Amino acid sequence: MTRQEKRFMALSLAAAGVLIVPQYAHAMHIMEGYLPPVFCIAWGAVCLPFLAAGVIRLKKAAKQQMLLLAMAGAFIFVVSSLKIPSVFGSCSHMTGTGLAAILFGPASATVLGLVVLVFQALLLAHGGLTTLGANTFSMAVAGPLAAWGIYKLCRRLRAGRKVSIFLAAALGDLLTYCVTSLQLALAYPAAEGGVLGSAVQFLGVFAPTQLPLAIIEGILTVLVIMGLESCAAPELRRIGFLEEVRHD
Amino acid sequence: MRRIPKPEPMSLLAGALAALVGASLLAGSLPRPWTAGLSLALGLALALGGHSHGAAACIDRLAHTSRWAGLNAGLKTTGCCVLLMLTLCCRTPWPPLGLFVYTALLCMAGGVGVRRYLGLLALPAAFLLLSAAALLWHWAPAPGGLASVPFLGGWLVLDAAGQATARLVVARALGALGCLYWLSLSTPLPEVLEVLRRVHVPGPVLDLAVLIYRYIFVMLDTAARMRVSAASRLGYEGAGCGLRTTGLVYANLLGRSFGRARVCQQAMESRGWEGDIRFLVRKKPVRAAHLIPFAAPAAVMLLALCLGG
Repeated sequence: MTRQEKRFMALSLAAAGVLIVPQYAHAMHIMEGYLPPVFCIAWGAVCLPFLAAGVIRLKKAAKQQMLLLAMAGAFIFVVSSLKIPSVFGSCSHMTGTGLAAILFGPASATVLGLVVLVFQALLLAHGGLTTLGANTFSMAVAGPLAAWGIYKLCRRLRAGRKVSIFLAAALGDLLTYCVTSLQLALAYPAAEGGVLGSAVQFLGVFAPTQLPLAIIEGILTVLVIMGLESCAAPELRRIGFLEEVRHD
Repeated sequence: MRRIPKPEPMSLLAGALAALVGASLLAGSLPRPWTAGLSLALGLALALGGHSHGAAACIDRLAHTSRWAGLNAGLKTTGCCVLLMLTLCCRTPWPPLGLFVYTALLCMAGGVGVRRYLGLLALPAAFLLLSAAALLWHWAPAPGGLASVPFLGGWLVLDAAGQATARLVVARALGALGCLYWLSLSTPLPEVLEVLRRVHVPGPVLDLAVLIYRYIFVMLDTAARMRVSAASRLGYEGAGCGLRTTGLVYANLLGRSFGRARVCQQAMESRGWEGDIRFLVRKKPVRAAHLIPFAAPAAVMLLALCLGG
C-alpha cells in the first residue's frame, strides 16, 4: 500500500469505529473517576437547590404517590438495563427520565433520577459515585426540566398530545447529551479552541449514538403513555396527569 | 459443556476501537512490536469478552455472597469513598493503576471470577474508549505530533500533550472504577442505604430507594417473561414491529406495576404503615484487622501524592 492508501484505510477504520461501535453505548453517563475533583464538587453543588425542591415536594406528596413514584423509579432502572432489540441492529437503551418528568413533574423527577443514578452506579456500573453530581445535573435536572417545559409549552400552543410527548422526550434526551458533552469539555478543554473546540469534539464523537437514541426515546415514551392511558387510567388520574387531558 | 459464545459484530468493532485507542495511548513510549501486541491483545479481549446483560442481578448476587460481606458496611463505604477521592487527586497514572490492580485482586479474593470481572469491566468500556479517542486526537490545520490522519480538509493529530492527558484520565477512571466495583461487589445495596440513613440523608429519598430496590428484581423478572411471550408471537420481527412491541411491553410493565403499587399500599396500610419503612439491620462490629485493606492502600496513595504522584 502507498502512504496515501494507508492513511485512507486508517481513516475509514476510525470512521467505521466511531460510527458503529457507540450504538451499543448506554445513555450518556459520565463514568466513575472521569472528572477532576473540583468539577465533581461544583456540579454536586449546582444540583442541591433542585434536590431540595424535590425533597420538599416529596414530603408534601401523599403516601399513595410514594408507591407510584417508587414503581416509576424501578421502571426507569429496569428499562435502562434492558436493551431494545432489533432497532437498527444496535443495542440501545431508554432513559425514561423524560417520561417521569411528564407524569410526575420536574421536582419529583429530580429526586427519582438521583436515586436511580445511585442504583445504576452500584448495580449496573453506569456512571459513578464521584460523577454523581454531574450526571444528576444532566440527566435528572436539565433533561426532565426541559422535557416538562417543552410538554407544557406544546400543550399551551395546542399541539397534538402525541406530538407534544414525542418532542418533550426526544428534545429532553438531546439536551441531556449536549449538557454532558459540555460538562466533559469544561473539565477537559482542547489545547486549541479551548472549551468550545473540545465541546464540538465530544458532541461529534457521541452524536452517532445519541441522535437515534433521542428519536427512539421519543417514540417509546409516546407508546408507553398511550398504553398507560388504556391500562392504568385510575392511577394516571390520581397523579393528576389525566385530569389535565380531560380539560382540552 | 460450556458453550463458547460467538462474538457479536458490535463486540468486534468495539475490539477494533479498543486496539486503535490502545495503540494511540502507547504510541512512542514503547518499542513498536510491544505497542502493536498490547493493543491487539486489548482489542481481542474486548471483542471476545463482549459486554453482559443482566448485570443488575449478577452484581447483587455477588455482593450478597462475597467473602467481604461480613465487614461493616459503614467502614467499606467510607474507605472506598476516601480511596476514590485520593485517586481523583493523583497527577501521574501509576498510583491509580496500582489501586485498580489491588482492588481487582480484592474482588477476586472475595469470590468474583476473573471472566465475570472482565465482563463487568466491559460495561463502561464504550464510554472510556470513545472519550479517550476525543482526548487523544484533535483537529489541526497542519500535520504534526506523533501521528496524523487527513480529515475534512485538515488533519487529525495525535500529540504528546493529548496523550499525557488521556493516559492520566484513563488511569484515574480505571482506579476509581476499581474502588466502585469493590464497594458494589462486596456490600449489598440495602446496607449502603442504611449507612446513608445514618448520615442523615432525607427520609423520603431513602424510603423511595428502599421501595425501588424491592421492586427492581420483581420488575426485571416480569419484563423478561413479557419479552419471551412477545418474541414467541414474533413480536420482534423487523425494526418497526420490534419498536412497537417494546413500547407495548414497557407500557404494560409500568401499568401493571402501578396496579401492584395499589395492592401493596392497601396491604401496608392495613398493617399500620405510617409513611416510613424500617428494616432490622444485623450488627457488624469493626475490628482493627478490618481496617488494614483500606488503610494500607490509602497510606500508599497519600505517600505517592506527597512524593508528587
